Amino acid sequence: MEDPPSANGKTNSYAEFMQAVYRTVDRPVTWFREKVVVSNRPDHVYYHQKFRRVPTIDECYTDDLVCRFEAQQQFNRDKLVDSEIVQLVRQRYKECLISEQPDHTRKCAKLMADFQQVSENFCMKYSDLGPLNNVKDAYMKQKHRMLWERRHGKVGTGMKDQDAL
Amino acid sequence: MTKDRLADLQAGILALRSNPNNALQVVRQMSEHRTMHIKPSRWSWNRFKDFMHFYIMLGAIPAALVITYVNLFIGPARLAEIPEGYVPEAHEYFPHPITRWMAKHINKSYQQEYELMCHHIYEVEYEQKLRKAEHRIKQKMAEKQDTQAYYYQPVTSRNERSIRVNTETDIEMSGTN
Repeated sequence: MEDPPSANGKTNSYAEFMQAVYRTVDRPVTWFREKVVVSNRPDHVYYHQKFRRVPTIDECYTDDLVCRFEAQQQFNRDKLVDSEIVQLVRQRYKECLISEQPDHTRKCAKLMADFQQVSENFCMKYSDLGPLNNVKDAYMKQKHRMLWERRHGKVGTGMKDQDAL
Repeated sequence: MTKDRLADLQAGILALRSNPNNALQVVRQMSEHRTMHIKPSRWSWNRFKDFMHFYIMLGAIPAALVITYVNLFIGPARLAEIPEGYVPEAHEYFPHPITRWMAKHINKSYQQEYELMCHHIYEVEYEQKLRKAEHRIKQKMAEKQDTQAYYYQPVTSRNERSIRVNTETDIEMSGTN
């Protein structure tokens, strides 16, 4: 990578020499690629596949296995997408940490809060279900969490006394 | 003289040799001068060379040439938005040309496998439900003991008649014993 042009016009002869050495290798290779390789390639495209939404597990009858299979496949695809979203948010936060290193607690606070929120939501939906990806288990987990929240209040505020319930 | 004798010897022709007792002795020397060179077997080494040649000349070099050509002169595709009203085929969702070719000619698409699985589950589910219904029917019949309908096995004598006809024809043609 070349350095940006210097502000006061002074050049560093060592840096210039190293860049000249780099150019002896880079120039022929770039010329070959641009004139010979890229010009002779056909311009073809590829697309990003979009899937239609199908009924989720809570809209399926209990004895409809085909509906359950489709809900399972949709769950798998959604899990992949959500993992990528968490990965992107995490990467943004990490890049902020590295670039703002001594002031990171102050400057990256919003990104840290975002990452905490996103990973908490992801874990609420997908974690602690065991090694196999089961959409019915995820649904039951949601049901149990809602029951627990109805009895004891928001998750994280502690369990109420059994007698008082 | 000696050259002729040597040629005669190599051709396996009878020769005459003088012995110290001043008589001539008949000597038949019918072998050539070659001897067997006893050495360890080179079979494994030869087989190794054969395999190396086979896998490199027919495997690695053609594959390397094809892959280099495809990467240089066809190259990966670029990402684009799906145009309005156009349904891309399965092989147009991959960037690299070799994966595209395989998706087009060799592999089944995601949609095809998905629908095959859906149909398979539908058939299996149907059989499951039939079996469960049979089980419930047998249970009810065992409870109530009021019908033999499900246990009735319909019998055809088609096979027995054909066996009888064949046996009679055989006895007519070839007799007993």
